[in-house]
Amino acid sequence: MGTMTASSLSREASNYDEVSMQQSLLFSDSLKDLKNLRSQLYSAAEYFELSYTNDDQKQIVVETLKDYAIKALVNTVDHLGSVTYKVNDLFDEKVDEVSGTEFRVCCIEQRLRTCQEYIDHEGISQQSLVIDTPKYHKRYILPVGETMHGAIRTKSKYQGCSLDDEDDWHQFRNAVRATIREAPSSARETPTSSARETPTSLVNSMRKGRSPSPSPRPPPQRSATFSFTSTMPKKDLDKRSISPHRFPLLRSGSVSSRSTTPNTSRPTTPSSAPAKKRYPSEPRKSASMRLQAEKENTKDIEQYPSKSKRLLKALLSRRKSKKDEMLYTYLDEY
Amino acid sequence: MARAGGGGGGGGGITNAVNVGIAVQADWENREFISHISLNIRRLFDFLIQFESTTKSKLSSLNLKLDTLERRLQLLELQVSTATSNPSLFTSTTTTTA
Repeated sequence: MGTMTASSLSREASNYDEVSMQQSLLFSDSLKDLKNLRSQLYSAAEYFELSYTNDDQKQIVVETLKDYAIKALVNTVDHLGSVTYKVNDLFDEKVDEVSGTEFRVCCIEQRLRTCQEYIDHEGISQQSLVIDTPKYHKRYILPVGETMHGAIRTKSKYQGCSLDDEDDWHQFRNAVRATIREAPSSARETPTSSARETPTSLVNSMRKGRSPSPSPRPPPQRSATFSFTSTMPKKDLDKRSISPHRFPLLRSGSVSSRSTTPNTSRPTTPSSAPAKKRYPSEPRKSASMRLQAEKENTKDIEQYPSKSKRLLKALLSRRKSKKDEMLYTYLDEY
Repeated sequence: MARAGGGGGGGGGITNAVNVGIAVQADWENREFISHISLNIRRLFDFLIQFESTTKSKLSSLNLKLDTLERRLQLLELQVSTATSNPSLFTSTTTTTA
């Protein structure tokens, strides 16, 4: 079969070469005829001039000259028409060859571009394996056995920003719920407004492929949040997970007042991770206790100037009246 | 013209006038023939001039195409030569992909 195809191809090539050779020969012959036409016309003109002057039958010479001129003109037009047609045909063939060659070159360039893109892609993937991925902190405090397991899983999932495996997803969700049940009071003590996102909204954001915030976001009202997330649409969840004023009516007044603090960092940025880093051994306070402590601190700060005034007054009075006993009493108070 | 020279006698004036008229008509016929021939030759020259201009424009466009094609081929040859001169690129990518 190969020899047959090769022989057929060689025959076609030989035929093509023969046809092209014949065409080129015909073209060259027609060009030669056109070149010879000029000399023929000049020789015919000289012949008729001589015959008209020498011959007696001039009328016959004139008629013959007319016929010859008409035939010469017609032959010239035919020659020029054939030559121009052949030239146009040859030119179109060359243009077709050039367009075919351009097409081949475009194909080669496209292949080369595809190879270059593939090489670039492989290089990027090879280099991306070398880059250290950011390590996020644990979101929730899990039991000892589940903490390591869940942390590794969440870390591995954060790299891809998707929880595709259903088993891993359910395990992670159960671990988060168990942690929230074990430490319900710790969910209320986060003071910043960025810690208002529910675990379900967090999980939704992770499912959508966002880069999740590493800071833990327990809800202010856990039971209400979980009941709402099951009924609310996803858009509302996303909107409310971003806003710091989530469920303002369900909170106590102190917590809602604290939620208006300007520390409204974006929930998607992991920059606030070290600031909100919490360890299990850290002593925990409820929100109301912390507020009370802050109020006591402010009272102490207000009491300090009054005491200092009294101390100064006592010193002045000591200078004046030299009564050290009074000073000692104030010093004891101080 | 040959006919105009013949004739004689009393009716020679009439025949001379007729011969002159015939000669003039023949002369006008010859002029018409020459004008036809010259007109056709002029048309032929116009066609040749137009053909020359179109052929020149086509040849210039073809020359431009060939120039661009030559440059692209040179670029491809250079890329292929660089690729063949650095086989380590391909070997590294193949090892990483493998």
